[in-house]
Amino acid sequence: MPKQDSNIQKKIDHEIRMRDGACKLLAACSQRDQALEASKSLLTCNIRIMAFMSELQRMKEAQVMQRVALRSADAGPTDDRLPCKGKVAISDLRIPLMWKDTEYFKNKGELHRCAVFCLLQVGAEIHDTDMVIVDRTLTDICFDNTIVFSEASPGFELRVEMYSCCSEEDYSTGSTSRKLASKLSSSLGRSAGKKLRVAMDPGACSPISNGGGATLLLPLPTVVGPKYHLLAHTTLSLSHVQDSFRTHDLSISGNEECSHWVPLYGNVCCRLAAQPHCMTQQMMSGCLKVKFGGDPQSWTNVYGVLKGTNLFCYHRQEDVEANIEPAFTISINKKTRIRASEKDRHNKAQSICISNHYGGEEVTHTLSADSREDTHRWMEAFWQQFYDMSQWKQCCDDLMKIELPSPRKPTLVTSKQGSLYHEMVIDTSDDISTVTDILARRMEELELRSQLGTSPPWMSLFEESPGCPRTHNRLPHSPLRCPRPGLLSSEASLTSDSDSPCSTSPCSRYSGWAEPLSLSSPSSHFRPRTLSLDAKLSTLRGRGYGGVLQCSCQPPSSSSLAPIPAQCVPQATLSCSSSTSSNSSSEGSHSPELSDGTPFSRPSSARQSLRNLRAKLDPRNWLQSQV
Amino acid sequence: MSFIPGQPVTAVVQRIEIRKLRQGEHLILGFSIGGGIDQDPGQNPFSEDKSDKGIYVTRVTPEGPAEVAGLMMGDKVMQVNGWDMTMVTHDQARKRLTKKNEDVVRLLVTRKSLEQAVKHSMM
Repeated sequence: MPKQDSNIQKKIDHEIRMRDGACKLLAACSQRDQALEASKSLLTCNIRIMAFMSELQRMKEAQVMQRVALRSADAGPTDDRLPCKGKVAISDLRIPLMWKDTEYFKNKGELHRCAVFCLLQVGAEIHDTDMVIVDRTLTDICFDNTIVFSEASPGFELRVEMYSCCSEEDYSTGSTSRKLASKLSSSLGRSAGKKLRVAMDPGACSPISNGGGATLLLPLPTVVGPKYHLLAHTTLSLSHVQDSFRTHDLSISGNEECSHWVPLYGNVCCRLAAQPHCMTQQMMSGCLKVKFGGDPQSWTNVYGVLKGTNLFCYHRQEDVEANIEPAFTISINKKTRIRASEKDRHNKAQSICISNHYGGEEVTHTLSADSREDTHRWMEAFWQQFYDMSQWKQCCDDLMKIELPSPRKPTLVTSKQGSLYHEMVIDTSDDISTVTDILARRMEELELRSQLGTSPPWMSLFEESPGCPRTHNRLPHSPLRCPRPGLLSSEASLTSDSDSPCSTSPCSRYSGWAEPLSLSSPSSHFRPRTLSLDAKLSTLRGRGYGGVLQCSCQPPSSSSLAPIPAQCVPQATLSCSSSTSSNSSSEGSHSPELSDGTPFSRPSSARQSLRNLRAKLDPRNWLQSQV
Repeated sequence: MSFIPGQPVTAVVQRIEIRKLRQGEHLILGFSIGGGIDQDPGQNPFSEDKSDKGIYVTRVTPEGPAEVAGLMMGDKVMQVNGWDMTMVTHDQARKRLTKKNEDVVRLLVTRKSLEQAVKHSMM
């Protein structure tokens, strides 16, 4: 197939160009990190070239065999059924390390560091992971990449190779060709390297010969710089595929004496998932007539779609694209039995009987297509489906999820605490002034609503609290509603709904007896925490209300409130715990730093929402939400 | 209203059907909930058993849809439209109540006074 040949040839040319680029980069760069990356690219390109060459060779051989077979008369029609291909994805690679005690405690001198990456190969498709620098502070080498091979057959062999390179090597210049050959051979893997070494005896040339075409003898680039060596490898196949993490053994080459040694525990953990095409694609579709059970009258016209372990029967063909639910679904799985039935008295064509066991009962559906050819094609499709399911085995029980890595990963604002809560991405379009505007508007709306009813009985407890202007009697309106969803434009999963502002924004706190004053004038002034507020909070805490004081709200305006504590009327036991108060007091102490010098400037909205989120996620809270 | 984890819960419940009120583009029910398996149950002022992580009604808006339907403050919400509320996080609870395509929520709530009423009537 010349077209496939030229494809591979194009890929080879591309890799050769990449390799040249990597060589130049390696020669030119001065920084160790760049050199390591460039060397990694070089190695990857070399290996890819070797793989493509062997693929090319194999294809040519296959062509030759085919021609021979066609010529010989006794080549019968080969009716081998081929299983469908599928997507195979490997992700979350983790290789545990086993440092010796002496390593851990050897604190003098520099850290011995190695650069490590993995190559994953299925057929001629080779992917590389990112490079990770490993030193004794790591307990595992983790590769976050998800690598997907799109067209793998069920008999695939996924070869995982781990390469490492000492990160402090002195890159000596001027190596002889033999020394270079041996180094390169060890980094290319044993068999490929042997071939290379043998071929390189006559001279420093790489043996790239194009099966029938021109022989390309590319001079081996004199590589100066860090060199990677194969440290460990393993091969995974269909039997290792599972919808969860598994641990596999690694074969380790090399020992402690090598410069590129990294003490491996001997395992690699990863998630190897597969999605055969028979599970994800429509394998067959067409118009059918379906009869349930043995009732001769109940023929229904449907549009059938065979996908995965089901035959979906839609009322009309348009329903498929419109994503309307199918009229009914017939299971086609390992336990289904399908046979062609004899000619019915009523139908001229053959029909297909599908039997399943649902619960304890046997349920039979009879299908009939419009013509004999169609019926035949449906039978063929069913046989192919069964064959695929037998080949892909456990992958056809349920569809395994494969998450494609998103091309744009949002940069996470990670603080050094490393807690998951701190890694939430907060949309910076979260604007607190929008919130207060909307709240103010709502307030006006609510003023027209019903009168305020009885306040909760413990309200009176707060009436005596000093410095708390009880303007509660003049509140004509009912408790404020919290801003509804969509208020915060942030789509971070936990803040997109109404309650997050509820828990920390002024509105819900002031329900019933609230101080709406803070909302009536939606200015953008925030009063950061001050000492007097903390003092107030501690007096209230001392009153024995379980130390639960709400104080994580950021009052939007300080103007109309003379005493600060009024903004944060605590709701006895119903709000954030004292731990939040300590959070926010520490956060409060941050706000002067955050603002640019002036004590009343508004803290940045991102931090604001982050604080909201933290308060919301703090398990020591007892949040309330308005619905 | 105490329960033993792992054992079936039995309670005397009242059915409350709340029709959501449309306010602009929002559907509101008119009450607030507190609690959840991710919350600190010790701070729940309504629960008898301070380890009860269920969802409680903490506030009812006067003359709102919830009050009209008979919901009272302190009620423990057991089910919403068939979905269990005894073992949910706070956010899950809120979401089950605020589904945009549902106009009516049917709650099963329990309260101490109900149990006592039943006990008295049986005596």
